[in-house]
Amino acid sequence: MLIGIDVGGTTTDAVVVDGNMVVKTAYVPTDHDNLLKCLLLALDELVQDIDTGKIERVVLSTTLITNMIAEGKTDPVALVLIPGPGTNPRDYTLGESIILDGAIDFRGKEIDRLKESQIKEAAFKIKAQGLSRVAVVGKFCQRNHSHELKVAEILAFALPGVKIEMGHKVSGQLNFPRRAATTMLTAATKDRYEQFALDMAAALRERKISAPVYILKADGGTLPLDKSVQMPVETIFSGPAASIMGVLALTEPGQSCVVVDIGGTTTDLALILSGKPLLSAKGARVGSLLTHVRAFAVKSVAIGGDSTVAVSGGCLSVGPKRNGPPLCMGGTLPTPTDALRVLGLTKIGDAAKAEKAMQIVAEGLGCTAKEAAQKVVDAVVDKIVFEVNEMFREWEQEPAYRIWEIMKRELLSARSVVGVGGGAPPLVPLVAGRLGIAAIVPEYASVANAIGAAVARPTLTLNLHIDTEKGEFSVAEEGLTGRVSDQKMTPEDAERLARRLLAERAVRLGISEYAGEAEVTYSEVFNMIRGWSTVGRLLDVRMEILAGLLPSWGRC
Amino acid sequence: MSSKGKSGKTGLIFFPAFDWAISPTHPEREERLLYTRDQIFEEGLMDLPQIAEYKPRLAEKKDVARAHFCVPDVESQVTKAHLIAAGSTLTLADALEKGEIRNGFALVRPPGHHSMRVVHGNRGFCNINNMAILVEYLRTNYGHKRIAVIDTDVHHGDGTQDIFWHDPDVLCLSFHQDGHTLYPGSGFVNEMGGPQALARTLNIPLPPGTTDEGIHYVLDNLILPILDEFKPDLILNSAGQDNHYTDPLANMRFSANGYARLSEKLAPDLCVLEGGYAVETALPYVNTGIIQAMAGLDYSHVKEPDYVPGRFVQTGGMVREIEHTVAQVQKIWEQRDELVKDALEGLGDFYRRKRRIFYDTDMINENQEEVVRLCPDCAGYMTISTSAERGYGILNSAFCVSIPRSACSSCRDDAKEEYEEHVDDKRIGYVLMQDKDKDRFKFYDNS
Repeated sequence: MLIGIDVGGTTTDAVVVDGNMVVKTAYVPTDHDNLLKCLLLALDELVQDIDTGKIERVVLSTTLITNMIAEGKTDPVALVLIPGPGTNPRDYTLGESIILDGAIDFRGKEIDRLKESQIKEAAFKIKAQGLSRVAVVGKFCQRNHSHELKVAEILAFALPGVKIEMGHKVSGQLNFPRRAATTMLTAATKDRYEQFALDMAAALRERKISAPVYILKADGGTLPLDKSVQMPVETIFSGPAASIMGVLALTEPGQSCVVVDIGGTTTDLALILSGKPLLSAKGARVGSLLTHVRAFAVKSVAIGGDSTVAVSGGCLSVGPKRNGPPLCMGGTLPTPTDALRVLGLTKIGDAAKAEKAMQIVAEGLGCTAKEAAQKVVDAVVDKIVFEVNEMFREWEQEPAYRIWEIMKRELLSARSVVGVGGGAPPLVPLVAGRLGIAAIVPEYASVANAIGAAVARPTLTLNLHIDTEKGEFSVAEEGLTGRVSDQKMTPEDAERLARRLLAERAVRLGISEYAGEAEVTYSEVFNMIRGWSTVGRLLDVRMEILAGLLPSWGRC
Repeated sequence: MSSKGKSGKTGLIFFPAFDWAISPTHPEREERLLYTRDQIFEEGLMDLPQIAEYKPRLAEKKDVARAHFCVPDVESQVTKAHLIAAGSTLTLADALEKGEIRNGFALVRPPGHHSMRVVHGNRGFCNINNMAILVEYLRTNYGHKRIAVIDTDVHHGDGTQDIFWHDPDVLCLSFHQDGHTLYPGSGFVNEMGGPQALARTLNIPLPPGTTDEGIHYVLDNLILPILDEFKPDLILNSAGQDNHYTDPLANMRFSANGYARLSEKLAPDLCVLEGGYAVETALPYVNTGIIQAMAGLDYSHVKEPDYVPGRFVQTGGMVREIEHTVAQVQKIWEQRDELVKDALEGLGDFYRRKRRIFYDTDMINENQEEVVRLCPDCAGYMTISTSAERGYGILNSAFCVSIPRSACSSCRDDAKEEYEEHVDDKRIGYVLMQDKDKDRFKFYDNS
């Protein structure tokens, strides 16, 4: 049996899945001040009459990191940058930072030395500010770790007990400001996240649940809870990821569809193309910071069942604010839910109150209550349809750097709209109708998120960079480096090396049984020519275990 | 108008054509923009609010035919990579005209400024002229009349010069390393344009070893004042990066900071990358600097690892030579109206020139005779007889007819007659017609 629990904005949803059957569901209201408590409440309700010995796996998706960042409850961090030549670091929106001399170039060559006295000064400054967490990030330090290591060593010696995170350990992808932001967020959330992980593990022991516990990441993959403390930021936005994995689990494999998750305040949109959820081209935006966190491309639109409906000067507007529950459910102001009730598209709430709500709107518009209801629903559908089309347009317009990428991206279109979330059943058929494609609202749509968490498999990414002229390779994700001796290494050789390194990394992360699922998602080779002869090759390989479902979930 | 003072983002298209090369070890190969990619991606430039990244598109056949006579046709002369590089400039032109961006930089390869009006093959690493295609597109689709093209590549922009040779509304200004010492061996002060457009082509040959100081002297004392007087609708920049002191194919002493300052002062509306082959030591830094300058960002932190200010100093002789050249070109510019008047007085109804053009990359020799009608009512139609040889055999021959925008009825009728006369003439391989007025293009195969 598999357990999936998704802590959402208003409710925490939980399911027990056995094979391809949903055995049990549970809902508890989310308590943002005590996520652990509401997770355990949901769990307790779920396992009341279940043999805990039969539980094979527990997967959690939490808003812990999202909330910490949104509420400013992260720990203060000293940011130490080694930017080298290029952009003035003040042009980045990273907040206050200490800037050090020293530089590494794109090939990993040292082009300017560190100044030890400057690092000691930095230590003095950090001490004076009373900070106990430091993020050290250098430009191109993923291609040569020496500067970050040296700075961390000197700081550790000068500041005993201070925790230091280094950029090359957090991400090896190109983009220095994103790496700086991600490293800073890692340092700022790690301690509290670790505490949560420890408390969770203890609570499960108390309940005699010995099954492995996983956490869901923004890319729809699971990671053992104890390993996830190394990369807490990866668990951000796991809610939308859970819903998308749920849709993947509840619909036919291999299809292309638009995922529409309609809640009270917002509607989340996502794309699944040929059975693969679309990842955002760059990392996720976390608050005001752009990061390297791999996440599904999710577009959040400020419209939902509880959005405020207002008429001003004969003009109707819906959202972006939410004003409590719909009038038909005890609220005070008209909402799209009231409109749906009047049109008979939903059975929830009180019909007379809904009528009254639409009467208010009708007065402003000079029409009947029913006509007003139709206009409100049209406005909501218009907005969602517009945003779905925008999302496709943006995807088509994503930059491409090779001829084949430009030629290949023909207009891929979705065959269906899949609705999940409370607001989906009445609205999704209307959205699909306007887009001229099929509407699907799967059974269990309301707990799709928890199902998604329960049956998601681990994901893993490994970026390998090889420079045969220097005889070196480096792995972006964990600061691993090594030697290569073959000057004429082929892309196939590089892919073999990547596969081996990925398997080793999978072991370290406790997900070795999935290493065989890894595929090459990007591979490039460049001959380095100096004068008129080849002096070496640069090879880059990205190998990934992409988001997917556990084999035991053989639903479709 | 230059982009100076305008608000909005800088549009950027980065198309490194990582799957296209002239040959595996050629300077124009896959690796050329690799380190530039690493640098600008690592800088996170695309994420900055001042910059908007665009996806390139393919130029259409028509976009190419508006600027070139491709023999025998467009398809035979271009690959997808060429169409994408050219199309990138058009995407940015649309964004500029729609007001989405204040200026734009097409950081693309393959380059184009050595491609002339007639194309039989690759010359100087170029098949089609991205800049000329952009100019013709802007004029046809957005009605711009006066455009200034400033070519800052180390090599003379002879292709662009050829295409706008007779056009008084396109100012083609190129500074470059003296043609006595570098490919393509042209671009001297006395190359000033056709009789109707004299001094709308201006060339500033500079001595090898010219530094930031020399190039900024030319910019401040010649180029910027001329632009003030020419008052173009748009300023476009053929932004080659091979004036850099580390370029393996040339001998100048320009720095990344010098390039960034140039971009800031010139404030072009659109920039198109041309050459630049110091793939590790120059391009990552020069491109970063140009992007920053165009976006109004601080570029003072961009510096080549081995550069120190004051590293290069010009000799007194070089300084005097540059000052002398600037004075000569200034004089030509000031006398532009008299030069045209005098030239036209000495000519009849037609102007002819015969030329031999060498295609270094493809080893082709072309013989050309160009005839322009000196029409009092319009720009005058043009015909070109061309034949290309490779080795001892004729490769292709063609007769080309061009009808200008706003052609008078007499030029239109005569041009049509010329076309009809050469159709089915077995001595000529192909007959091509470029009707810029109606934006229609014909290719006829005489065999």
